[in-house]
Amino acid sequence: MKTALQAKKAKIIKIMASSSYSNSPCAACKFLRRKCLPDCIFAPYFPPEEPQKFANVHKIFGASNVGKLLNEVMPHQREDAVNSLAYEAEARMKDPVYGCVGAISVLQRQVIRLQRELDATNADLIRYACNEAPAPATSQFGSRRDSNQGQGAVDQNSAFYFPYNNDHFGDGHE
Amino acid sequence: MTLKGGTSQACAACKYQRRKCHAECPLAPYFPPDQPKMFQNAHKLFGVRNILGILKNLDPDQKTEAMRSIIYQADIRDRYPVHGCLGIICQLEYRIWQTEEALRAVHPQLEMYRHHYHYQQEDVPSQLELGMAPPNNNNSNSLPLFNQTPHALPLSGSYSSINNNSTTDMDSKDNAVNSMWIQHQYATPTTNNSNSIAIQSHQPLAIQQEVIHDYDEMHPFFDTIDDRQSYIDSKEAYDSSSEESLKDTTQSIEHVAENELKSAAACFSLISINR
Repeated sequence: MKTALQAKKAKIIKIMASSSYSNSPCAACKFLRRKCLPDCIFAPYFPPEEPQKFANVHKIFGASNVGKLLNEVMPHQREDAVNSLAYEAEARMKDPVYGCVGAISVLQRQVIRLQRELDATNADLIRYACNEAPAPATSQFGSRRDSNQGQGAVDQNSAFYFPYNNDHFGDGHE
Repeated sequence: MTLKGGTSQACAACKYQRRKCHAECPLAPYFPPDQPKMFQNAHKLFGVRNILGILKNLDPDQKTEAMRSIIYQADIRDRYPVHGCLGIICQLEYRIWQTEEALRAVHPQLEMYRHHYHYQQEDVPSQLELGMAPPNNNNSNSLPLFNQTPHALPLSGSYSSINNNSTTDMDSKDNAVNSMWIQHQYATPTTNNSNSIAIQSHQPLAIQQEVIHDYDEMHPFFDTIDDRQSYIDSKEAYDSSSEESLKDTTQSIEHVAENELKSAAACFSLISINR
């Protein structure tokens, strides 16, 4: 009896070792309800313990688009690509209007403000070093009004740096 | 593809999908026919169905803003396929940290200068009126600026070089961000504010490691600020401290006062002044 039981156990182990059933499907294949093949492109980056990660990415970008994107980057860069997509998807879920671009806008304004403050402080230091009176506070700003690195136009309403000319839409189509 | 009997051209979305662009096309306002790349990027990242899904529940004015952000996000992803907008966010956070550190270094100096300047303004006139020399100020911190290492004074020239450096890094496809944010992990959101996502998920330890490396690189930038640094060096050689300049001023004033007394005395006596 013991021998029969042991034989049965050995058989089950053999079956499991020969098929992919030994590994649980990745979160992507679980969500899409398909067999998780050994060469599944999503498997290394969407573990089954994080189902929400793939759910967000799929909802915003789509599994097909994500798969194409991953195929276009080098294998050692895919983890970073997936993490950035997951971050952007989560941001878009929280804020459907601006997504992660809202954070960029806030940070850009902060950079501009801090740089102006630094320029003014340096200017005061130079004046003190030359034994001159410091300039009045109101006239110090203006040396670096736009820290735009030439990437595009500044939208005055939202202070986003858009790479395209947005004059053609938005005004008459709301 | 043009509309039957109409004069308007099909939008970039319908052109790309090779279908008829009707008057109520939801994407037509946002994808003009003369900018096909804009739609291609958006289509590659999001897909038409997902874009329409995002727009579905928004007000008309929100739709415009949403499309702008979608187009921007897609463009950034096209430029930087690996890191996308997250790379931009990490770079901006790093620049903020750099600028804040520079301000932290510079503010105490400014306060010291301010204090010294006001002290100078108050004391010198009264001392001179009495004909007295000002107290010999042995405070070696009077002009600490000239004695400090260059990186404590980040002038706008250095910012432009840092600026150029960051621009160059961004242009080299995703190489700038690399180890700085690779440790950034996908974090379960804990707040409702999307603007705080980047800041909360920030890995400060990784940033600091990168900063130490960058400070080693920053010293050559300050060597390029030739004009100002050479001015400072020459001034340092000529006038190493404010006490010496004060002494010179006082001595010249005393010299003038002495001359006046002597010339006045010469008017009333036979004492001649030999110089």
